[in-house]
Amino acid sequence: MALLEVEGLTRHFGGLRAVADLSFALREGEILGLIGPNGAGKTTVFHLVTGFLRPSAGEIRLAGRSLVGLRPHAVARRGIARTFQIVKPFPGLTVKENVALAAFLRHRARRDAEAAAAEVLERLELSHRSGTLASQLNLMDQKRLEMAKALATRPRVLLLDEPMGGLNPAEVDVASGMVERIREGGVAVILVEHVMKAIMRISDRVLVVNQGQKIAEGPPAAVVQEPAVLAAYFGKRVA
Amino acid sequence: MTRQLAPWLAGALLLAAVPALVESPFAIHVCILVLMWTALGAAWNLLGGFAGQVSFGHASLFGVGAYTTIILYLRAGVAPWWGMPAGGLAAALVSLPVGLLCFRLRGPYFSLATLAVSELVKLVALNWESVTNGPVGYLITALPPLRLFGHAVDWESKTPFYVVAAALALAALAATALLRRARLGAYLVAIREDEEAAEAVGIDTVRAKVLTLALSAFVAGTAGGFYAFYFRYVDPDAVLGLSLSMEMVFIAVVGGLGTVGGPLVGAVFLTTVGEAVRERFPSGHLVFYGLFMMLVIRFLPEGIWGRARRLATGLQERALRHGAA
Repeated sequence: MALLEVEGLTRHFGGLRAVADLSFALREGEILGLIGPNGAGKTTVFHLVTGFLRPSAGEIRLAGRSLVGLRPHAVARRGIARTFQIVKPFPGLTVKENVALAAFLRHRARRDAEAAAAEVLERLELSHRSGTLASQLNLMDQKRLEMAKALATRPRVLLLDEPMGGLNPAEVDVASGMVERIREGGVAVILVEHVMKAIMRISDRVLVVNQGQKIAEGPPAAVVQEPAVLAAYFGKRVA
Repeated sequence: MTRQLAPWLAGALLLAAVPALVESPFAIHVCILVLMWTALGAAWNLLGGFAGQVSFGHASLFGVGAYTTIILYLRAGVAPWWGMPAGGLAAALVSLPVGLLCFRLRGPYFSLATLAVSELVKLVALNWESVTNGPVGYLITALPPLRLFGHAVDWESKTPFYVVAAALALAALAATALLRRARLGAYLVAIREDEEAAEAVGIDTVRAKVLTLALSAFVAGTAGGFYAFYFRYVDPDAVLGLSLSMEMVFIAVVGGLGTVGGPLVGAVFLTTVGEAVRERFPSGHLVFYGLFMMLVIRFLPEGIWGRARRLATGLQERALRHGAA
């Protein structure tokens, strides 16, 4: 059985179908790339899976248990963490306080939460910024903090929304390495990303959506050859 | 631990010394007002300062407490010192449905909803005459006799009320300090900083806000009970006015949002300024509050206590650096 199963997921906004009858599965320990042109519905899928939006129809299951109708905090408690495309740190708090807040989900005592936070910061090479206010980090460290907060909730599934957007090529390599290490730590990852080099390198499988529908699925190298994918990205004449 | 307790002990001792040092009944009266407003500012600060949920309706919680205390005494013979916590409980109970409904709303919508609720409570108090006596309200003519440590308590003296008010203010500030260290306090700060991000890391934001509102309502309602006990008079204008809600906001903002000591500083400042201005401008003192609040928001956005604390830690750090060098 797959860890996360999505079946027939649909969401309308008025007359607009942002996500239409989308089905996919995420296996234990897998990195699944979720790509598609702008406005394809990738972020909406994240909102639906994490409870920030309610599906109009469809089913979402984590380890066999339905998540539909749960509020975001309850989804996080079940074991799905997410990052936001536009990072959402708690700006007036330090890096350590930010991560400790997330660690409170699994630790009751402040001391335990702080210890767990320190451990996550160590893993993401952000320890030297522990005492810095989140609002004063550079973009790379903001992305690191966003991942650290998500990891501190000890998820089974991590949804990353463009963790590499805006980074330079060297930083993209660092971030790719971090995502791979997160997977090695036993967390399955869904990665929304426009940086194709990273997607190609670290995804086990890629899911391509366009206008809310799945148009291709499979190993990265094969998927980018498919006519439907080329058509979605470059127009029909190229394909 | 001793370092954390020391300022509390010093504060308690200072408060205990006041009745022995101050003779003028008016001065004691001002002290009682300061302490009552400290408790109210602290109640508002729990929700507004820590969780960033701006309520313009806290007078309704204060009023529910005041009415509960005075009705229990005059109709059922329950002594006001039992009526005060009962008033707090009643206010907390009233706050639960309000919180569950209004906290689905965010930002300015929550604030507007609290305004609506406070008008609603006032209309109920004005029109539900069989319970509230309508616009006439209630008056306590005599307080029940009480013997403590072999002495009859003299209700004509201000000292017993001072003691109750001091205990109330200390308890409210201690509750703030405890909340700040607890997990709930951390959750509230997260909610203030970014509500969506708070949900994303597993914080049940509605539950945290409802709990905090209930705690805040308990403190405000108990202070309302104290008002009924001390002033012995409750009517809709006295305990349910919008200006009461506003004064709680002023105290928390001027003292320092989300700080422990802020409400005390704010209450001292606004009660003394308020009493001084009220003598010359009987109804215009709110104008001065407003002016004062604008100045504070413009020049001291972290409040008097917040700024003082930052200056103090800055000096400490500088001293440490010099010591190290």
